[in-house]
Amino acid sequence: MNLEPSLPIPISYIAGNYFVFSIDAVTYLRREHHICGVLMGTLPQCPQQNVFLGLPLELMPEEARLLVEKGVACIVDEIKAQKHGMKALMAEDRKKYLHELESQGLQAMRLQHSRKEQQKEMALKKIEDKKLAKAKKMAEKQATAETQVSAEETQADPMIDLFADSQPSSSTPAQLASRPASIASSSANVTMGVTPATAHPPLPLKPADDQLLPLPEVPSSYPLFSHLHAEGYFLSPGLRFGCQYVAYPGDPLRFHSHFVVVSYEWDEEMDLMDLISGGRLGTGVKKGFLVGGAEKKHKDIGEQKDTVRTFSLEWAGM
Amino acid sequence: MESTVPTHPEPSALTALISNTSAPSNPYSATTLQILHNLEHQHLWTSLQVHNLEVPSADSESPSLSHFLISGIPPHRVYTHPDEQLYMLEKGLRDEDVDLERMFVLPTAQGQSWSLRRMAAVFDSLADPAEEFCSLSSSAGNDAEDRGTKANSEKAAKLAEYYERRTKAFRTREWGGKRILLAMVDKGMGGDGTVVYYIVQEGAVKPRQN
Repeated sequence: MNLEPSLPIPISYIAGNYFVFSIDAVTYLRREHHICGVLMGTLPQCPQQNVFLGLPLELMPEEARLLVEKGVACIVDEIKAQKHGMKALMAEDRKKYLHELESQGLQAMRLQHSRKEQQKEMALKKIEDKKLAKAKKMAEKQATAETQVSAEETQADPMIDLFADSQPSSSTPAQLASRPASIASSSANVTMGVTPATAHPPLPLKPADDQLLPLPEVPSSYPLFSHLHAEGYFLSPGLRFGCQYVAYPGDPLRFHSHFVVVSYEWDEEMDLMDLISGGRLGTGVKKGFLVGGAEKKHKDIGEQKDTVRTFSLEWAGM
Repeated sequence: MESTVPTHPEPSALTALISNTSAPSNPYSATTLQILHNLEHQHLWTSLQVHNLEVPSADSESPSLSHFLISGIPPHRVYTHPDEQLYMLEKGLRDEDVDLERMFVLPTAQGQSWSLRRMAAVFDSLADPAEEFCSLSSSAGNDAEDRGTKANSEKAAKLAEYYERRTKAFRTREWGGKRILLAMVDKGMGGDGTVVYYIVQEGAVKPRQN
């Protein structure tokens, strides 16, 4: 699957959070730009099952900003876009869209139905084959056993009847006729409800200029984030490991992380105890503890781009 | 029975060392001495030296503070980069085959305030390891050849190869860049004189597989 979404990818800004709703965009960002985000869509029935989370993908403000700065994405005020888009939608378009959804549902229903039919046919065929094989065997057995004692034969007969009877002979024709019919009658009329993940077919893919938002506000750790990202690390939120970011050397599905990352400002006071506990934490989970931040140069050096300095800590084992 | 007058116990070796050393009245000097003492007697380091260091204070306006850096040669290797370890394993070299190298130790005490600026200043004051190891490896290479005239010339060749590889690795930073040992002594209430050591390296250096 090499679906490339059209750029820039709209990132929906909703209630202070950044979301991506299109699956193509999610896979593209992960594959090409090392941005994983966090899947956070869940079923209302079991919101605590966090292994089954799906779309939408929530992005950290740092991730959203990085993508916008790269020109890969833009931030859309989703509420405004939705309201505006729905108002602008003509009655005709709306009808057409609903009709389309319905036909998609019908299509899906038919597909599912035909797959069920196929499965049933296969199952029945299997049973039929088994029965044939059994009958054959029995015939052979009878042929060989005919010379033997007749009392045995009379005992064996009802057994055969029992097995043969219970499954296909009497029930199949009736069931075959009635069951599909009942299923068809109950489900054929019910088209499946289709809930698209994105609102792009009815609404325009490209948001209007007045729906675009400026660059996301980011914490002071952003320079370190973009520095590590530029070095090829995959970064994810670090709350689970007691840090700011967790840095993976490749896709998190394939690699263990290398660092627990904490950002400091250039002149921010570092408690040495924090360095020690971070180093301990990292070493305890086979990672390094990485501290870093943007270097502030003297003013007279000029408008040089701020460089980022990083230091990694590990327990020395002595 | 003769009543004994209670006398003060003898001061510890460390206290004696600190009070006898005519150090300038700098709060860092006692910490440095304590860690020097610990390195020498607990970890058996040799050729220990103390270096002076100018470190900027926490805010950039006030004048820089003088700090100390200890250097010495540990009895065995303190740190091996994971890729370096892999290379040595492939070559069949052991840690003790390789010449020991001088390591720098930054003495600190619990509660001292540090910042990225000061940490960077400490690292900037260190010589570039690429140049340092260039000169070191040439002499070490000769050394290895002298020993290699005997039966283990094969090993000497491997060692020479290793030193060459290491020089290259230091230039490209693939086996890590500058590194120091951060030593922190517990001096708070109930400080028990424990010293802990952490490897600090410049840049993102992947962790060891321990």
